[in-house]
Amino acid sequence: MANWPETTRLIGTRIPRLDGLAKASGKAKYPSDVHPEKMLFGAILYSPHAHAKITSIDTTAAEKLPGVKAIHVVAKAGATLRYQGDFIAAAAATTEEQARDAVRAIKVEYQILPHVVTEEQAMAAGAPAINRGGNVRAGRASVHGLSDQVLAEIEKTVNDLPAAEKDKRRKEEYEKAVNDVLGKADAVVEGTYSLPVITHTCLESHGLTAHWTAADKLTVWASTQGVQVVANELAGAFDLPASNVTVLTDFMGGGFGSKFGADIWGKTAADLAKKTGMPVRLFLDRAQEHLAAGNRPSAAGKIKIGATKDGKVTGLIADTHGTGGFPFPYVYEIPVSTRVHSDVFVNAGGQRAFRAPGHPQACAIMEAAMDDLADKLGVDPLEFRIKNLPTDFHGPLYEAEIAMGAELIGWREKRKPRGQTGTGPIRHGMGMALHQWGGGGAQDKKVSCTIHPDGSVELKSATQDIGTGARTVLAIIAAEILGLNPTDIISNIGNSTFPPGQASGGSTTTPSMSPPCYDAVTKARDELFKKIAAAVNAAPDQLALKDGKLLVKGEPAMSWKDACRKLGMAPVSETGSFVPGLSSVGVGGCQFALVAVDIETGVVKVEKIVAIQDSGLIIDKLTWESQVYGGVIGGLNYGLFEERVMDPTTGVMLNADMEMYRLAGASDIPEIIVRAYEPHEQKARGVIGVGEPPTISTAAAIGNAVSNAIGVRVSQWPMSPRNVLDALALASKEGKA
Amino acid sequence: MTEHDPKGRGAPGGASRREFLRGSGVAAATAVLTGQATAILDEAQAAAQDSGPKILKGEVELTLKVNGHDHACTVEPRSTLLDTLRDRLDITGPKRVCDRASCGACTAIVDGEPVYSCTTLAVSCQGKTIETLESFDTGEHGVPHAFCKDDGLMCGYCTPGFVTACKAFLDKNPNPTLEEVRKGIDGNICRCGTYVGVLQAALDAAKAMKGA
Repeated sequence: MANWPETTRLIGTRIPRLDGLAKASGKAKYPSDVHPEKMLFGAILYSPHAHAKITSIDTTAAEKLPGVKAIHVVAKAGATLRYQGDFIAAAAATTEEQARDAVRAIKVEYQILPHVVTEEQAMAAGAPAINRGGNVRAGRASVHGLSDQVLAEIEKTVNDLPAAEKDKRRKEEYEKAVNDVLGKADAVVEGTYSLPVITHTCLESHGLTAHWTAADKLTVWASTQGVQVVANELAGAFDLPASNVTVLTDFMGGGFGSKFGADIWGKTAADLAKKTGMPVRLFLDRAQEHLAAGNRPSAAGKIKIGATKDGKVTGLIADTHGTGGFPFPYVYEIPVSTRVHSDVFVNAGGQRAFRAPGHPQACAIMEAAMDDLADKLGVDPLEFRIKNLPTDFHGPLYEAEIAMGAELIGWREKRKPRGQTGTGPIRHGMGMALHQWGGGGAQDKKVSCTIHPDGSVELKSATQDIGTGARTVLAIIAAEILGLNPTDIISNIGNSTFPPGQASGGSTTTPSMSPPCYDAVTKARDELFKKIAAAVNAAPDQLALKDGKLLVKGEPAMSWKDACRKLGMAPVSETGSFVPGLSSVGVGGCQFALVAVDIETGVVKVEKIVAIQDSGLIIDKLTWESQVYGGVIGGLNYGLFEERVMDPTTGVMLNADMEMYRLAGASDIPEIIVRAYEPHEQKARGVIGVGEPPTISTAAAIGNAVSNAIGVRVSQWPMSPRNVLDALALASKEGKA
Repeated sequence: MTEHDPKGRGAPGGASRREFLRGSGVAAATAVLTGQATAILDEAQAAAQDSGPKILKGEVELTLKVNGHDHACTVEPRSTLLDTLRDRLDITGPKRVCDRASCGACTAIVDGEPVYSCTTLAVSCQGKTIETLESFDTGEHGVPHAFCKDDGLMCGYCTPGFVTACKAFLDKNPNPTLEEVRKGIDGNICRCGTYVGVLQAALDAAKAMKGA
């Protein structure tokens, strides 16, 4: 058990990242920048069709083109291509232009197969089956809050049925039981809400540069969020001892959950390098990055929810589907609920983890239903939420955060009830949403700390910096303990041969890596004291470090460097492990949005967002804030702009680029107020990650603000002009607006 | 972003972008077509040559002046400035992201104007002054320092483009308002969402550059 120091000199302050200047001056070498001698350039041939079988593939002409050194075919004759962007083959050539010519010259004959690329197509009656077991795979109904007696009766009813009918009947029985509860509610709303597939759009595309340094030794520079994951995959693929593969990632241009593995293109790069005996750089082009390198799955839900007139939710029934799953219900205390979820399969690139997997979808659907219910009850949605907070420690935390956020957005003074927002074409509205995330760390990671006789301090761990500032966080911890500056610390990460480090996902990097870093540096310091104590005529426990100096019995005795010199020739080196007490798990958070909606054009302009976030002890306030701003802006993109647009007829993605796949630019950024919720008891929890939580509730809050502004629910995200105008038109048809 | 001079007036390379595109199309096609097609191409080339502009094909020897140094390289007429910088000259500050002039990560400064180097042909830059962010002042008075101090970067892959766009903008607008900065860097896209830091960095760099 250990604790962070009560008072800190560096931890919690605003410290620029150690590698900030390298990144801002173009000197940082990313995996896609590295250019080993004799390197060849790779290019990929991928499926132009949503669903097809390769009947023949001929590389003869391609191989004869100038500069072409090798072609590697993955999808041979007979292979089925399951989506536009599916990998077929790759070429390596002296120049990139030649490599592109080569893949263009590969002759492929396709047998086009029927496709389904939208959820609607996949679920339609008579749709071609593209997945064994059907295009729609219904999960088993789940239930919460029914008494054991009721459950036992349902099981008895279901028991005698044939297997095929059991699940369906159980779902009906659960719904009947919850409907009994909802029948006694004072208000019930039913709504259908949906969110589209969005793609990660990492700015550095997926890929790596492979270099065989010996027949059985492979070094790759990979754009990855898991150097050791990539190393293990490549070692397996080429049957090498794991120690013969080195994965280097000094920098990487964005991952967001999509860059954990070597992938087929990574293995192909290594194959091409092996075939040619030369290093090969192989990265996806922008279109394939959208098509094949991951996405956040779609989500839709038909929700029925009820509450008593004093604002307590009594029950919820959810029928949800999407190209992936998500947790539901979300955040709130719902006494009785049932849900069934169906996964929908389409001929489009598969989902990958995407910044808070499942949560933004869950949050948007839940918070929309909560808002609609508050509106029907005629109560303030903020007060309504407070009445339904979870009963664990998150409850009071949310209440404190809501109070902070409400104050900063001006909820009580400025918010008007839904639809009562004036008569002109521009309507202002305010909305809010709550979120939750785990974000704890792994307990099996290591950091080594070496203090050299020249005073240099080196940390090593096989984690990597996905953009959160991981390198700097480790240096801050070391500098805090050693009385140095972060710039005095050499923070070496992004190398798979270093002590085991955490993959950068799930907001787990900082909470995984901080405890072993603290442990390693503390041990190295104590070892240093032990080794030099005699030379300064003191006992080890009479030594301390402060402001770059060694203190002996509380008095400055010499500089850090002079103290280290007393080590003689041998550095001290210690490896640190997980220590309980320094990290924790589980955060809340809330966000508020203020929007202006033009009801004639459907254009939504976000004017202000307030984000309140708890995350235990914050190591670097500057990079912490950047992550929260970034999360909010990611959520703003999800709320307003992003969607993968599939063409049902041709089966291709219509916006696999960066002009029609819309992302916010500088002019789209509203005023954003970020506040950490960090009273003493939060700091005492230790370190918790913050990558995911602040991106979860932004789209939900924006959706609620739009509904508040225009008086009707826009049930489909993003809040694009088309979806806003459709909602207004539908309401108008139904005589509601 | 400034469009290149469509007539190529005064540029030692001499030919316009449109003509280069035609020329490179011919070169690419030559690699795969034969017989009858070649005859048509010969005709097209002859016609083009008659009308004045130079047709380039195959490999082209080029000297580019980048960050104050002359760099000799061999390109194809279709090679972009970005791919030439990155692949042939190992100048990797500018990044390839969208590869079609929508995101700004590839921004370089050519004859004082910011351009999307992913859609600028290398052969059109012969004789021009090309600056990439590797040549910028990294001291306290420079734009990179402001980006670092204000954390106007996360993964950092869009950062070279933002820094370059920002520098080119501030060189012409030394006293911008926040709204002017937004417009000035609206040709760039960040995925991590660092705009708050970027905007602050631009304003701080404007102040710092005056002290240089």
